[in-house]
Amino acid sequence: MPSYKLTYFNGRGRAEISRLIFAAAGQKYEDIRIEREQWPALKPKTPLGQMPVLEVDGVELPQSAAIARFLAKQFHLAGKDNLEQAEVDAVIDTISDINTAWPASSSDEALKKKFLTEDLAKHLQNLETLGKLYGKGGHFFVGNQLTWADLRFYTFGQTCIEAAPDCLNNFSWLEQNRAEVEKQPKIAEYLKNRPKTSF
Amino acid sequence: MPSYKLYYFNGRGRAEVARLIFAAAGEKYEDVRYERDQWPAHKAEMPLGQMPVLEVDGVKLPQSLSIARFLAKQFHLAGKDNFEQAQVDAVVDTIYDCLTKYVPIRFETDEAKKEELTKKFLAEELPKHLQNFETLGKLYGKGGHFFVGKQLTWADLLFFDVGAIILQVDSNAFNNHAWLKQNRAEVEKQPKIAEYLKNRPQTQF
Repeated sequence: MPSYKLTYFNGRGRAEISRLIFAAAGQKYEDIRIEREQWPALKPKTPLGQMPVLEVDGVELPQSAAIARFLAKQFHLAGKDNLEQAEVDAVIDTISDINTAWPASSSDEALKKKFLTEDLAKHLQNLETLGKLYGKGGHFFVGNQLTWADLRFYTFGQTCIEAAPDCLNNFSWLEQNRAEVEKQPKIAEYLKNRPKTSF
Repeated sequence: MPSYKLYYFNGRGRAEVARLIFAAAGEKYEDVRYERDQWPAHKAEMPLGQMPVLEVDGVKLPQSLSIARFLAKQFHLAGKDNFEQAQVDAVVDTIYDCLTKYVPIRFETDEAKKEELTKKFLAEELPKHLQNFETLGKLYGKGGHFFVGKQLTWADLLFFDVGAIILQVDSNAFNNHAWLKQNRAEVEKQPKIAEYLKNRPQTQF
């Protein structure tokens, strides 16, 4: 039985997908949360000077997507065969592309407004397209069962809704997908009890 | 035996890592290349209106890294167990982070601005990315020349491909990174890769 230690800031951010995977799997782990002022001292001790980091039996793994995929595969939440896993990965990458396209908080307001009112809908359409392509008619992104693609969209969806509360109004499939995730008993329990943080 | 069809432009770009994986594995596939003027007619055929796309027994898969990881796993070039595969994925993501920083600069249309941004990238961004690559290679490489576990994985193939792009920008980029130079040399001399590099189409990108 491996021991797992996840280290990140005290927030959801790039670690929350992994915490949701642990929760969905009912798997114990050490959830280390570093306050901003503790980070400079810890930074040089991490492989790439970044977080999150997952420590598995003493070996450190950086990169939030690599961490999440590893955990999803450990706990059978990654897709049932290589092709399904690739379909899950394609959904993950498509969400990642949206993050890349999302203007930084330092960008000018006009750029941010354009993204939220015009571009975001096209990206969300792409996600619905994949859900309908790979979801076998069900509510989950791939193969009629919960995978980390659904958990990732759940966290990403929260970010979208906080920025633009009506962004999913024209995307009933995506809304339904998040509702399905939210009502999984272990997830519902986790969401009820997780720390409330600003990010 | 699945049938594979890879769709992309007539260039290396985001499809080359998949082609390198097919080559390293000695696996056949249909290498579909669309010229720029052919692309508009096919765009709607692709799930996200983008390429590359891999078609596996009729199922279309977008996203260059997902395609590459799928192929690497099919052909045992992804790492020998889940944890090694995660180490490979971490290297891939770290290489991709560097590429993501460079791509907007590469496509900058204002030549003066592009030159300034490139200088800044080489001086301020690239060194820490290269250091990160070496750090991971030494952390996971078990003392060998490959990024993970002493054998060739798609992390080495991706670094080979992205390394070529970096060297085009600055041919001296790896002068202080002997480990990275050696890693690319090891990839280049794998017989199936050497053969592929000798015969692949010479394209602008």
